Amino acid sequence: MSTVLKDEPELVWHANDVKMAEVVQALGDVRLKFARAEAGDYEHAHPRNCVMTLLAVSATQAEERRALRTCRIIGAQHPAQAIVIREDTAARARAIDAWIVTDVHRPDTACAIECEILTLHVPGAAANHVSALVDPLLVSGVPTFLWWMGTPPFGRAELHDALRVCDALVFDSSRFEEPYHAFRGLSRLISTAHHKLGLADIQWSRLRPWREAIAQFFMPHDRRPFLDGITEIGIDYAGMGRGNRIAATMITGWIASSLGWRLQRATAGSGGVVATRYTTGRRSIEVRLRSVPKEHLANGELSAVRIGGIAGGTTFRLEVLRDPDRPRGLPAEPAYRSLLTSGGEDDAGIELTKRRAEWHRDVLHESREALHHTSTGDPPGESMPRHPVVFTGERRRLDTQQVLLTLIQIGDGPALRHVQQVEAEDEAVLLLDLLATGTHDRVFNRSLQAGFDLMRKM
Amino acid sequence: MKVEEAPNPLAEGLHDYRVADPAVIVIFGATGDLSGRKLLPALYNLAKQRSLPAGFAVVGASRDDVSDDAFRKHAADKIHEHSRTQPIDQRVLDAFLSSVSYVKVDFSKLDDFRALAQRLQELDNTRHIPGNRIFYCATPPPTYTMIAQQLQAAGLNTGEGFHRIVVEKPFGSDLQSARELTQTLQKAFPEDAVYRIDHYLGKETVQNILAFRFANAIFEPVWNANLIDSVQITVAEDIGIENRGAYYDRAGAMRDIIQNHGMQLVALTAMEPPLAFEAGAVRDEKVKVLHAIRPLEGDEIARSSVRGQYTKGWVVGEQVAGYREEKNVAPDSETETFAVMRLFIDNWRWAGVPFYIRAGKRMPKRVTEIRIQFKRPPHLTFGREAMQEVDPNAITLRIQPEEGISLKFGAKVPSAGIRIRSVTMDFQYMTSFLVDAPEAYERLLLDCLIGDPTLFTRADEVEAAWKLVDPIEESWRDGKPALEMYPAGTWGPPAAAALLQTDGREWHRP
Repeated sequence: MSTVLKDEPELVWHANDVKMAEVVQALGDVRLKFARAEAGDYEHAHPRNCVMTLLAVSATQAEERRALRTCRIIGAQHPAQAIVIREDTAARARAIDAWIVTDVHRPDTACAIECEILTLHVPGAAANHVSALVDPLLVSGVPTFLWWMGTPPFGRAELHDALRVCDALVFDSSRFEEPYHAFRGLSRLISTAHHKLGLADIQWSRLRPWREAIAQFFMPHDRRPFLDGITEIGIDYAGMGRGNRIAATMITGWIASSLGWRLQRATAGSGGVVATRYTTGRRSIEVRLRSVPKEHLANGELSAVRIGGIAGGTTFRLEVLRDPDRPRGLPAEPAYRSLLTSGGEDDAGIELTKRRAEWHRDVLHESREALHHTSTGDPPGESMPRHPVVFTGERRRLDTQQVLLTLIQIGDGPALRHVQQVEAEDEAVLLLDLLATGTHDRVFNRSLQAGFDLMRKM
Repeated sequence: MKVEEAPNPLAEGLHDYRVADPAVIVIFGATGDLSGRKLLPALYNLAKQRSLPAGFAVVGASRDDVSDDAFRKHAADKIHEHSRTQPIDQRVLDAFLSSVSYVKVDFSKLDDFRALAQRLQELDNTRHIPGNRIFYCATPPPTYTMIAQQLQAAGLNTGEGFHRIVVEKPFGSDLQSARELTQTLQKAFPEDAVYRIDHYLGKETVQNILAFRFANAIFEPVWNANLIDSVQITVAEDIGIENRGAYYDRAGAMRDIIQNHGMQLVALTAMEPPLAFEAGAVRDEKVKVLHAIRPLEGDEIARSSVRGQYTKGWVVGEQVAGYREEKNVAPDSETETFAVMRLFIDNWRWAGVPFYIRAGKRMPKRVTEIRIQFKRPPHLTFGREAMQEVDPNAITLRIQPEEGISLKFGAKVPSAGIRIRSVTMDFQYMTSFLVDAPEAYERLLLDCLIGDPTLFTRADEVEAAWKLVDPIEESWRDGKPALEMYPAGTWGPPAAAALLQTDGREWHRP
C-alpha cells in the first residue's frame, strides 16, 4: 500500500466553540453532499461503506499531525470514520473546536470514496470523558478502535471511560514514556478490562518479522524436535536500562510461553546484560539479554536473536541479525545526548531528566514576552509572541527498512544464509496490519504477561 | 498411514502464516511467457512477503542454452516488468536471485534430466533441502507426457521428501486425451502429487463464493430452487485472442473457458456444503455437482447452446479486426469465440433452475460475475402500480473487476405515496478489508509448496467436465447449432438473447 499523500486534504468545515450536536450535523451534511454529487446519472446515491471507526487520542500537536497523516493513509484505501481528539488545555471551558477535512479517492475498480477526518480540540474536563464525546458519532455495527498515541493512562478513570465504547485499545509500547511502569499498567489491564476488549501493540507488529524468522526455522518437520532441544538464547537490543528491554523481554516471553518454559531466575548485571534461566522438565535454558550500541536503531529495538541447542545428537544454531551490513555505532557521547533521550535510563534518571526539561521549558515560557520584545524591538503590548512550541524528544524514530539475515547451522553441514528484507513499515502500515488481523491476540497477551514476569524478576 | 505432525507452537498467532518446508521448484519452460509473466514475479512476491523458507531454490529448465547469470538477468527483467508490487525491492530481488539457477534441458534427452538430478542433489546438500521437489510444467500441454516420463526415467519422481508435478490447463482437449494425460501423469506421480492449476480458483473472489455461502447463515436457506429463479454466469473478455491464434483456433471458447473456468464457477455456486474447507471434502462436493448436471444430448444441444464468432467492430473506443483476420487463424475458421449453454442440475436443491453460462471474446467489457436471480414475491402487497419499477431480488457475485457482492432489493421511494424502487446494497472487496489481495499464482504456488491441493483440479473433476462438453463439441462440429457472427464490442449474436427470451428471461447487463 502506498503511503505517499500528495496533496493537503480539503478543509470542508470548521467551527470554534461548538456543541457535539452541531458537529454531528455538519458531518452528516458533508457526507450527504458527497453522496449526492457522486450519484451522477444514477437515481439514488451510492451507499456509504465504513469498515471501522478509528479514534486517535493525541496529547500534542506533533501527535495530532501524526494521527491525521495516518488516518489519511488508511482512509485512502479503506472507507473508515476517523476522529482525532486532542486535549487542548488552552481551549475555553466547555468549548469544543472542530475541523472536518476530506480526501476523495477514486480507485480504478471501485466507486469513489470520501474519507472524512474529524478533529476535535477539547478542554481537559471533556477530554476525560471520551465516551460521552464520541458516542453519537459511532457507526452501528462497525468496530471502534481507540488508538492512544502516547502512553495510555493505565489505571486511571479516563482510560476506562474511553474503553467503554471501544472494541480495542491500540498503542505503541515502544513510545511509552516510562516504559517499565507503563508495561506494568498494561499487564494489569489485561486482567481488568472487559472481556471483549482487544489489545493491540504496534511494537508487537514490529516484532512480527522476528517471530516469523524464528518460527520459520522450526517449520520443517525434521527440525520440529529442535524445539525440545533449545539450550540457549541470546538477544541483543539497542539502548541501556530496563525500559529498553521491552522488545527483548516480549520475544523471550513469547518463546517461553509458547514452549511451556518456567522462569527460574533473572539477574541484571552491568552493561545491560541480563542472565535468565528457564526450565522445562529436567532441562534448563539460559537466556541472555544484552545491550549493544547500535546508532541506527531506536532505543529498545532488537539487533540480534541467537538460538542454539542439540537434539537427537545434532547440534543446531539459528541467528537472526538485523541490518548485518551496518557498522556498529560508536558509544554515545556522554552527558547531553543521554540526558535528552528519555526512556532508556532507569526510572530515577528519567524522572530527573524530565524535571530538568520541564524547568527549562517553564523558565523560557515565563520569560517569553520579555524575550519577544528584546528580539523584535516592539514596545510591550504592540505585538504578541507566537504561541511557543515546546520540543519534546521522540521516543521513536520513523520506522525504517530493515534487513534480517538468518544464519542456519545444522550439525556439520554448511552454514546457510537467508536474507529477508522487511519493508519500511511506518505507523500506518503497522496499524493496518494490526487492525486487519484482529486485536484479540492471545499469543500477545500471554507473551506480554510472561515478558512482564521476566522484567519483574530482573 | 499418514503420520500426524506435531504442531509448531511458535507459529501460533502468526495470522495467515504459511511457510513451506525448504524445497526446490524446477520450472520447465523457464524462459517462456508463463514463467516470465506469472511464475517468477509470483515467487519474487512470495519472497517479499517472507513466505519462502531459508534454503528454497528455483531451477530454471528449458531448451535454451543460457548460463546461470543470463537466466538470473532474464528473471530480474521479467520481475521488473510484471511484478504486481512496484517498485522492485532490489535487496529482496538480489536475495531471491541468489537462489535461482539454470539447467539446459531438452525434454527428449534423458541425459539432460540426469544432469538436472545432479544439480538438485547439490542443492539439497548445500541448502539443507530434504529432497523436496516441485516440477512445474510451464510448457505447451503436448510436452507434459514427455516430461513426466523423463522425470520417472531419471528417478526424479521418488526418493526422500515430496515430489509434485504441476500442469496448467487445458487438461486435454477432450475426455479421451484428458484420460490419457491423467494415466501418464499417474504412472510417475500419485494423484495427490499432481497439481492441475486453473488460476481462476486462486482468485480471492472465487474462494469467497464458498465463504459467502457457507460462513453465513442467512444465504444458504434461500440458496435453492424454492426461491431462486435462475443463475447467470458471465465470463467476458474485451480482448481478442492476442498472440494465441494457433492454440485458440483449435480450442474455442467452450474448451478455453467453459470446460474449466465456467464449470468451476457452476460447481462452486451449486455445491452442497463441504464438511470442511479441506481438499478432499471440497473437491468431492464439486464433483457431485458436475455429475448431477443433465448432459445435453441430441437436438437439445441446438436448443440449449449458442456459438458465435466475432467480426470486426468497436471495443472500448477502438476499431478491431474480426476473428478470421487475426494472426494464425484460418480465414474460414469455424471456431467459436462466444459460447452459451443452458444447463440444469438434477438434484433436490436445483431441480428446474436453469444455469445460463456465457463466455466470449471481444465483448463490450471485461467482466466475470455470477448473478443469482430470485423469484418475484408471491403477492403484490403494494399493488402493480407501486411495484412497476422493482426488479426481482438478485445477488451478484462479482469476480472481476470491481470485486464484490451486491444485493438488489426494493425500497420505498421517499414521497407521500407508496412507490417502490430497486436499490443496491454493495460490498466492495477492494475497500472493505485492510489488506491487499494476493495474486492468484502467489496463492497457488504457496499452496503447492505447502501441499494443499484444495484449490487445484482433481482428475475426476476434469473428466466430469469433459463428459459434459464433448457431446456439445461433437454436435457443433456438425453445425448444430450454426455458428453465428457478432460484431466485436457486442454481447454476442442475437441467438444468445433469444435463448433466454424463450424462457421468459433476459440477460443481465453486467
